[in-house]
Order: sequence, then C-alpha cells, then structure tokens
Amino acid sequence: MIFKIFKSVWGNIIGAFKAYNASARGRLVDVTVWEVSELENIFGLLVLGSFVGLPSPPMQITLDLLPDMERELIVMLEKVDTASTALSEMFSNFDVG
Amino acid sequence: METNALNLFFLGKGGVGKSTSSALQAVTLAKQGYKVLLASMDPAHNQADIFERPLFEEPTRLSDQLLVKEVDINLWVKKYLNNVERQISTSYNYLTALNLQDYIKVIKYSPGIEEYALLLAFNAIEEAYNQKLDYIIFDMPPTALTLKFFGLPWLSLIWLEKLLELRREILKRREIITRVQLGKKEIETDKILNKINNQIEDYKRIKKIFSNTDQTHIYLVMNPDKLSLSESILISNRLKEYDLTLKQIFLNKYNGEDTGHIEKELPGLTITKLPFSSRPIIGLKNIEAFLAEMNSENNGQL
Repeated sequence: MIFKIFKSVWGNIIGAFKAYNASARGRLVDVTVWEVSELENIFGLLVLGSFVGLPSPPMQITLDLLPDMERELIVMLEKVDTASTALSEMFSNFDVG
Repeated sequence: METNALNLFFLGKGGVGKSTSSALQAVTLAKQGYKVLLASMDPAHNQADIFERPLFEEPTRLSDQLLVKEVDINLWVKKYLNNVERQISTSYNYLTALNLQDYIKVIKYSPGIEEYALLLAFNAIEEAYNQKLDYIIFDMPPTALTLKFFGLPWLSLIWLEKLLELRREILKRREIITRVQLGKKEIETDKILNKINNQIEDYKRIKKIFSNTDQTHIYLVMNPDKLSLSESILISNRLKEYDLTLKQIFLNKYNGEDTGHIEKELPGLTITKLPFSSRPIIGLKNIEAFLAEMNSENNGQL
C-alpha cells in the first residue's frame, strides 16, 4: 500500500518535472527563436542596407551573399510589420506584463 | 624552375605620365631580357596611343619579351554580374526573384563595381601570368579609383570579419534550438558562412600580395609642380592606412629643379628622374630613343 502511494507520488513528481522541463525548453526555444530572428534581421540590414538607404558593405559582398539570403529577406519583411511595436513584441517574448 | 612575377604598380595624379612611365619601364625590362606584361588598368587607356596600335583584353605581343594589354573593365563588370544573376535565378524561386533580375541590371551603373572589376581583372592576370613572366606592370587609373582599388581588400575585410562574427552568433543559437528540440546536435552547413569565409580568404590573399614587397612594388609617378606633390603626399598617406608602402618615385617632366622639397615630404624614397622631352614619347621607336638618350646622359636606369 505504502509502496503504491510512494510510486504514485513519485510518478506525479516526475510528471511535474517533465512538464516543467518541457515548458522551460519551450520558453527557451521561443526566446532563442526570437533572438535568432532579431540577429537575422540585423544581418540582413547590414548586408542589404544599400537597398534601403543604409550604409552597407562594398557592393560585391552584398551581391555575393544575396543569392543565399532568402530567409533573411523574409525575416526582414516580417519585422517591418512589427517595427512600430518592437517594444511590445520584446515584452511579450520575455513574458512581461 | 617556376618563377613568380613581380607586380609593379604605377600610380599618381591624372596626367602626370603614369602610362608613359610604365611603358618606359616595360620596354626597359624587356630590353634587359625579362618577360614582361604591361596591363593598362586605366579606363581611359593610353597605351594604345603610346604604342600606336590597337590593344585589347587579350595581350598583344610587341616583342619576344613584351606583352601589352588593355583591361576591359566593362567586360569584367558584365562577367561578374552575369555570374551573380545566374546564382540568384538558381537560388530563388520565381516569386521571390520577381523583378530582381532588372534590379541586378541596374547595379552595373552603381559605384563600387568598377574597383571590384579591377580587382577581378588583377586576380585573373595574376593567375594567368604569375608563373610565366618576370614582371607584370600595371598602369593604374588616376588617384581616386586606384586608392579605392587598393583599399577594397582592407575595407571588405573589416566588413566580412564583423559579418562572420554575427553569422556565428546566429548559427550558435540555431544549434541550441536544434539541440533542445531534437535532443541532439546537428551540424548545419551554412552557405552564407562558407561564402564569408571564402571571401575573407580571398581578400587576405590579395592584401598579402599587395603588402609583400617581394611580390609587389608600388611606384608613384609625379611632376615637379606643387599640385602633383600635394596629391602624392595624400596617396602616400592613404596607402600607409592600408599598410602599403611606396617603393620609389618617378619624377616625370623633370627640368633640373631642386628636388629637396620632394625628399623632405616623401622621405626615404628613391627618385628616378625622367627628363622633360621636347618630342612626344609615342611609338616604340621614340620610347627606345628616349631611353637611349637617358642612358647616355646619366647612365639612367629606370
């Protein structure tokens, strides 16, 4: 009987840890994905800055990397939508408020 | 045994006689029995007028030892942009690439491509002739474009090293995501990282060629006047920023003036004096006559 209770409690503790682990991993992934998208946006802006009037590297660097920057272009376009609410996006990613 | 050609760059203010000086040097070295290529990098090519014959991208043989060519910058710009266009059309699907092709066509008019085209041409010449010749002489464009050309590897490396740092941060985080999501480490091959690394390698190689005095000598051509001197000082200072040093000065149209002020402003450089010539130094015969005159007058060695 005691063994059964212990097993059930232990199972619940393990379950709670697993749930916490999954949730923590999920949070970590969410925040890191957001961080990566921000870094990709910066990378895109630096390399392709000349397209939007920003200082940029010598043209041949841009042209060499451009064919492989589809992902960064998409991220940049997505970031344009939230550019006016960048702070609220950051707060929601850090779960503030 | 394979030899490594020595690159001689002739640069200076517009109109000081870079083309004439480089032609004189090329003919002198060829006469001494060295295998020489004279490449005109100046878009306003003068070598065809100096040697009184049409010159092309493909070298023309003027003697057993002397080849002359005029680098076709537009051809190099076109070659390069065609390559970029091809890469874009294979990498992008038609929706994202829509209108991009037209944009690429406009790029050939943008600043910054010309010096890169020159760098591509330099690379191609190095690759094709470095092991075959003793000297490759480059008749460079006027100051602004030449300084951009020499500064390009230096400037590109600053950008590329920063971009490399940022790219590594992106990949490090992507790796964390993969590890957390899949529970294992997946090594991602990133085309952009590879391209940045390749470019860094290329620019470091070119920078090394430019700064290695066993491979490259930079000659400054100037006239005795004040304007020419002040631009020469500017050139010397800018080259120092790129860790490049001048080897010697060619003082063209020299009329016997005191050169103390030049030695004071540009110390430590040998000054080769090219006397003012009353008849134009045009045509191989006149070049040879001028050199013979120089030699008889002052044991002149270029």
